Amino acid sequence: MAALGARRLLRPGQRCFSETVPGAPSPPASPVYPPVVASITAKSKAAKSQRLQRFNQRVHAAATVEEKLRLYGKLQRPKYTVYPQTFALNADRWYRSFTKTVLVPGMPPRAAAAKPPIAAAGTTPEAGRAPEPGAEAPRAAQAPGAEEVSKTPESMAGAAPYLDMGELRSLACDALLQESFFQNKKRPFLYRDQDHTPGPFLTQLVSTLAAFLAGLNPLLAASSLDLNPEVNYYWHHGEEVVVHGHRKGRVDPVRFQINDNPRLQIRVPKQLPEVVPLESDLGDVPVIEHKPSKLPLFKKQYENKVFIGSKVADPCCYGHTQFHLLPDKLKRERFIRERLEDQIEVVYRSNGIASLFAWTAAQAMYQGFWSEADVTRPFVSQAVVTDGKYFAFFCYQLNTLALTAETIKNNPRKNICWGTDSKPLYDIVEDGNVKGFNDEVLLQLVRFLLNRPKEL
Amino acid sequence: YPLFQRGGPQLRIFRPNFFMLAVRPGVPQPEDTVQFRVSMEMTKLDIRNYLERIYNVPVAAVRTRIQYGANNKRNHRNQRVKKPDYKVAYVQLGQGQTFQFPNLFPEKEQDSETRSFDDFRDKYMEKEKQKQEGDPRRGGVPDWFGL
Repeated sequence: MAALGARRLLRPGQRCFSETVPGAPSPPASPVYPPVVASITAKSKAAKSQRLQRFNQRVHAAATVEEKLRLYGKLQRPKYTVYPQTFALNADRWYRSFTKTVLVPGMPPRAAAAKPPIAAAGTTPEAGRAPEPGAEAPRAAQAPGAEEVSKTPESMAGAAPYLDMGELRSLACDALLQESFFQNKKRPFLYRDQDHTPGPFLTQLVSTLAAFLAGLNPLLAASSLDLNPEVNYYWHHGEEVVVHGHRKGRVDPVRFQINDNPRLQIRVPKQLPEVVPLESDLGDVPVIEHKPSKLPLFKKQYENKVFIGSKVADPCCYGHTQFHLLPDKLKRERFIRERLEDQIEVVYRSNGIASLFAWTAAQAMYQGFWSEADVTRPFVSQAVVTDGKYFAFFCYQLNTLALTAETIKNNPRKNICWGTDSKPLYDIVEDGNVKGFNDEVLLQLVRFLLNRPKEL
Repeated sequence: YPLFQRGGPQLRIFRPNFFMLAVRPGVPQPEDTVQFRVSMEMTKLDIRNYLERIYNVPVAAVRTRIQYGANNKRNHRNQRVKKPDYKVAYVQLGQGQTFQFPNLFPEKEQDSETRSFDDFRDKYMEKEKQKQEGDPRRGGVPDWFGL
């Protein structure tokens, strides 16, 4: 009580100063209070953006790539399953809009120019084939006496032919005849035609060609050939409003997942060189305003997986070539019977675009890039889509991973896919002979396999 | 349909008793897609053959689903009243054809006669209403109210 009475009553307007002399206040070394930002748990747009930013920071700050992938695919929600091999009409247009891809017909110009010259020999295999390991640029002037065995040099004037067409053709014909003529197989079961003959032929052809060309291409010698691998990729693109359920009315990103099983796959430790610069614009991406379910595409909720065919620690983490075999449901005869001839090429294109996008994007994620941390160098891969007789070649360059609604706004980059039409490798197999063998297709296949970075 | 056994004749239906009703889609559909309400017994093959043979419409793909009619409404006797089920078919046209459901109730352009008649009618109705109302100075109070 005495202490209370000792204190003088303050009149309004007066301030009671403490004992210490109020000098100049020392500037605080760090802010005393935490920064004033939007709350995390409120039901508002600011809170939602705050939560998204915190999630992005968590993924950016993740120590390892496995941790990043785990956080990226942690939240499971219903998502559209995109099938690369689909019978949906005009699927390649829809897939291009989902993946922001430009389709350029024909092969990229580098495939025509800087390839090692091939000898356009006759049917007799040359004996004096001289492979020159390491040399890749075509030499301008060659002494004609050096290649006394070559008959007609290729388009490069006077270049050294060190790749024997006859040998390659005989390899391909051997594989084909072994599977379809020499081996005694029973009739294929219903809808198992593709596993009966074209599947083993493709496997045999690719393995023998890869082993044969490994001497010329050191990248192939260090590569890894996968049989029936799995390739998965999960991404967001665009936004939609949730229609049914307890989350009705909320704005959600549209989620997609590709689960692909190519027949064969070649993975290499070094990346293929870029075809065109990162920011090049070679065409337009189709914009489709309808929902993806009109394609038709269906939603399911399951694990969000990102996988290239091997785990992150594998040294062969870049992709080289994929080989796809079309299933029985997508045979040419079926389309012709239903008078849908224009959909035949659509099937090849949609398979090439979707599979290659998934593979290159998964490779980029394995290097630590994702939609908020866009790629700094383009990722290039190749694919061959076939149904046993007809071959179509695709080359894909991934320039951007930023496809979500916020990141796509100021992103001028587009992914590019070069693709050819399907051409037959042979006409018919009769009595132990392969009639009408097409050298162009084999040449393109060999070019694909010989593709390698400049410094090798 | 009679069961098919190997070697038997192919089922042929002449003058089918099916009806297909083209409807306006509730959600926007792609340009080549037409939406129909069909009989519950029709299959995708039936729909394709119906359109191709009878109407010469090239059909690329057909997808069907069955819409369940709700059973929640109650009548005056508190019995549940069911709305009937129906099958919806989404037909994608071939050969690049497109279809847009037409506007069945367009705004008609009124000629001068109907416009003047409408004006005359509106003015007459206004006059009648004013006759019905009482003296505006009484503020809406009826005239039987008073001393």
